[in-house]
Amino acid sequence: MTSAVTSPVELAALGPAGEFRTRNQQAIMDVAGAQVAQLSLVPPLYVHRTVSQLRAAGVLPADAWTEILTEAAKLFASATIGGLTVGEYQRLVSRVGGLPISTVRGATSSTAEWITKAADTVARACPVGTASDWRDPSTWHGRAVWARRGEVFAVHAAGNHPGTHALWPEALTLGYRIAVRPSRRDPFTPHRLITALRLAGAPNDQVALLPTDHSGADAILQAADLGMVYGGDDVVSRFGADPTVLIQGPGRSKILITADADWRDHLDVVVDSVARGGGTGCVNATAVFVEGDPAPLAEAVADRLARLPSLAPEEDAAALPVQPLASARVVEEYLARKAAGTRAWLGGDGIVDGLGDGSAVLRPAVHELDSPTAAQAGIELSFPCVWIAPWTPDAGIAPLRDSLVLTVMTRDGRLIDHLLNEPTIRNVYLGDQPTVWMAAGVPHDGYLADFLMENKAFVRS
Amino acid sequence: MPLLADKVLDLPFDVVPDPEEFIRAAMEWHFNPATGSPFWLRRAESLGFDPRAEIRSHHDLRRFPNVLPDLRDVHAEDLIARGYGDRPDVAGFFESGGTTGAPKRVVLMREWQDRLLRFHEDVLDRHGIARGLNWLGVVPSGPHIIGALFRLITERHGSYVFTIDLDPRWVKKLLAQRRLSDADAYAEHIIDQTADILRRQNVGALNITPPLLERLSRRRDLVDLVNEKVRAIMWGGAHMDADTLALFRTEVFPETIFLGQYGSTMYLGSAAERPNLPVEAPCIFDPYSPYLTFEVVNPDTLERVDYGDRGQILASHVSKGFLLPNNLERDMATRIKALDGTVGDAVADVAPVATFENEAVIEGVY
Repeated sequence: MTSAVTSPVELAALGPAGEFRTRNQQAIMDVAGAQVAQLSLVPPLYVHRTVSQLRAAGVLPADAWTEILTEAAKLFASATIGGLTVGEYQRLVSRVGGLPISTVRGATSSTAEWITKAADTVARACPVGTASDWRDPSTWHGRAVWARRGEVFAVHAAGNHPGTHALWPEALTLGYRIAVRPSRRDPFTPHRLITALRLAGAPNDQVALLPTDHSGADAILQAADLGMVYGGDDVVSRFGADPTVLIQGPGRSKILITADADWRDHLDVVVDSVARGGGTGCVNATAVFVEGDPAPLAEAVADRLARLPSLAPEEDAAALPVQPLASARVVEEYLARKAAGTRAWLGGDGIVDGLGDGSAVLRPAVHELDSPTAAQAGIELSFPCVWIAPWTPDAGIAPLRDSLVLTVMTRDGRLIDHLLNEPTIRNVYLGDQPTVWMAAGVPHDGYLADFLMENKAFVRS
Repeated sequence: MPLLADKVLDLPFDVVPDPEEFIRAAMEWHFNPATGSPFWLRRAESLGFDPRAEIRSHHDLRRFPNVLPDLRDVHAEDLIARGYGDRPDVAGFFESGGTTGAPKRVVLMREWQDRLLRFHEDVLDRHGIARGLNWLGVVPSGPHIIGALFRLITERHGSYVFTIDLDPRWVKKLLAQRRLSDADAYAEHIIDQTADILRRQNVGALNITPPLLERLSRRRDLVDLVNEKVRAIMWGGAHMDADTLALFRTEVFPETIFLGQYGSTMYLGSAAERPNLPVEAPCIFDPYSPYLTFEVVNPDTLERVDYGDRGQILASHVSKGFLLPNNLERDMATRIKALDGTVGDAVADVAPVATFENEAVIEGVY
């Protein structure tokens, strides 16, 4: 055993007056069912009062934010915060979310890098014809000026990957104040990041951590001006028509390999796309379409994924996600039901590998589909689970729609044009770039600033 | 001619009857063919026991079946005890909220109403609420007993009462249809009317439901107005969690007296907050024993939970005017030791029976 029995980590809400502890405590369990933390859940009244204090707060200039974010990034990635060293923090995220510890470590450094570059990313999103500040001398003659669409930005955070928290700090540099509602699957990352921001000099009334139950979650969106919500089809149908909510919906990332490319040359990219980080990301590939017989590719991918070890998530070599055994069984049964009629190359006889402590590894699954239009290709599960389907030019781009990322191996320039101009495909990567590729300054699902800002005419005399 | 009941059913509001003597007298009244109500006399035929002979203590009330569903169809007149004679003094018929299906009906006899009003007058005094205040009621009106009782209690204890219309069933319907913006507009309509009275009239005390108090608190000017004018806030009609109450007491309205009421149409009254609790203690409600009594029970076995444990509230109303034993409320609470000399349990941290988030969502990565 690597850890002694310790009392649960206490996570307070982080409000305008500092830490706020409530009587309503949410127990946070690790994948084996042991309580490792407790979280103060705040009531809707506290949410509304906090958001109105955020709204009334002053705005810091972007330069000040760059300094704060740079310092906060260092603290986030290295300091002992709230009594947790970075290693202890990462272990908690791994034990609770079931993510391989290497994934959590990678997210710590990438988050530090992204938030350091937040102002630069935001600047890239500003149209070249638009001044970022009305004080720019060019506005004397009339020009577009970049303006916020509101004052307070609410974030219903995701719990699938700590790296998702690298995005919202961009809004700070635009003058937004932010209320983050953490996921119970990872309250640690936003708590650590917001504490780091405060230690680095961010005033308490700029960004708040508001853990809530369901009623409080609605209150955060209601109280704020704009919001961002992570979720599946349920979230899309609930908020899809609301122009004040930015939906981070299903990923359903895909790969297309046309006949002018040989999948054998791209196997590493395919495997990496499916499984990197444990396969729990919205950018992990859900389906691979190949022009020609999908069977040899499915066989090769299955062979590679089968070698991944079953380990507890906090082990250095862990590469697969871990869940409580009962939840893992539910996923397994769901997959078995949905996969009926397909050809299983891996995981056909089950994907659950119990670790003996109440938790279980979700082992990879590879299924071959017999048609490019098979419905299974849209089933995105939170572990390395890939559907491999045949594709023909006649099938066109319809099967490739609704993709956060599409990696395409082709030399057909017209096809690339079509894919790039298909609105439901959010990112197109050409050639040997895995779907999980990301870089600071390059949009993930559009720039966040596209949603937060607008162009207004401004002229003065 | 009204018939004479055992005098133990007619004691002054502050004289505590012997609990067992009281139950026996109540059973005699409600199940004697000369004095009982048509509803209970009819129901008695299929009870399988004789309440006049066999129900001798509060504990024995557990032998009664759940008759709540029958209160949907019963003719309200049939709930009136025959012992009240040809011209019974009925204060009103009232209805449950209607959350679960068609509303259930109860009868409020003037006699019980007077007793209850006298009790609550005393409660308001014991909480240090000044007499003679003008009250504003922002609570359900119409068929909901809270609106009627509130008005009478505050009229007796205070001076004058302002009210507004509030139809909670319409809000529930809107929410069930997920017409959130319509529900929101209705609630704002209520707050607008509240604001108008607060601004223009001398209002010294407020009776309001927790969700509407929260909504009112979102308007800065109204918070200031309440802090300026209102000395006491009596809340009820919905739940308020301990963290919200603490925020109201310490941050939002720090100078105001808060008095919680846990009431229900189905037990014809409300249990009032125990006075003089420390700020950090949970809000404890004491029912008006032996007329209103609670037991905190395990929802599956219906056995009483231990003190300090959570369970579902089993409420009973036994008075001359009405009988409704063994009513499992849709609320959970912590079991607290009742005040000396009273029957049953006190309750704390009352909250609706938990509904869990949909954990069956499998697809997706978030």
